[in-house]
Amino acid sequence: MKKEDIDVKLIKHIQEGLPVTKTPYKDIGQALGMSEDEVIQRLKKLLEAGKIRRLAASIAHRKIGINANAMCVWKVPKERVDEVGVIMAGFEEVTHCYERPVYSDWEYNVFTMIHGYTDAECEAVIQAIKEKTGLNDYVVLYSEKEFKKVGVRI
Amino acid sequence: MILSDTDRKILHRLQSNLPLVSRPFLELSKELDIDEDTIIERIKFMIEKGYVRRLAPIINTQAMGREATLAAIKVPEDRIDEVSAIINEYSGVSHNYLRKGKNKHIPYNMWFTMSAKDDEELHSRLKEIENRTGLTVRSMPTTKKFKIGVRFKIY
Repeated sequence: MKKEDIDVKLIKHIQEGLPVTKTPYKDIGQALGMSEDEVIQRLKKLLEAGKIRRLAASIAHRKIGINANAMCVWKVPKERVDEVGVIMAGFEEVTHCYERPVYSDWEYNVFTMIHGYTDAECEAVIQAIKEKTGLNDYVVLYSEKEFKKVGVRI
Repeated sequence: MILSDTDRKILHRLQSNLPLVSRPFLELSKELDIDEDTIIERIKFMIEKGYVRRLAPIINTQAMGREATLAAIKVPEDRIDEVSAIINEYSGVSHNYLRKGKNKHIPYNMWFTMSAKDDEELHSRLKEIENRTGLTVRSMPTTKKFKIGVRFKIY
């Protein structure tokens, strides 16, 4: 089996959740027929290579009281995208910040995802972004209904 | 909300990497000054009660060689259930929301993220959704990333 295939096998085995035991890596290794050290080394390499962003908890944010979220899209002049993107990303409540393409009926090129405990907290972040960047053309998209939300699997 | 201060401390720490050592929860117990058995027991509790969706690798789809996009569609009100069901059939769809503009009207109402093993597969799936629904799908793949990292402030 190729190295990549073993990595995929390892990720597939743990993507629904690591065993919550005293020795999770040893337990994973036992299930897959590899040593504890091999599991640790492979995960280290996957993290270093950026193939795994984090080995961490995904939190049900609504359940712990982080009930408000706003996808705020901004119309940013092309030459200001880099400067503005860094400012927006600097806010703790901004969890995602991306540049995306525009279309004839869609001119908002920078997307921010804002999470907060209340709508007012999200609004305050949007106001602060407006003040810090001088941008005024934006739309707040709130979610009316969630049809699907799952973590990315391979 | 039934989480204790201890739970919140654990939850906050768990959003960052689990140590890659033989006894990761023992390592956390030293950092947080909470004993290992308690940490394990509280994590299990928080998973069981649904506060933690999972303790697992967060996969970088693109680095794994996959392609991903955010797509938007304008779906007529009376076809929302039908179209969302079609979109949700695809395993590469990880999020699908009905969204509305708060301060301005926007031309699309259904927004979903889709990943596929490569560009070709991604485009053929989006095309398939267009064919099956008769609606135009606007694909908005990321052209630049400034931040990705859903870590929440835990009070």
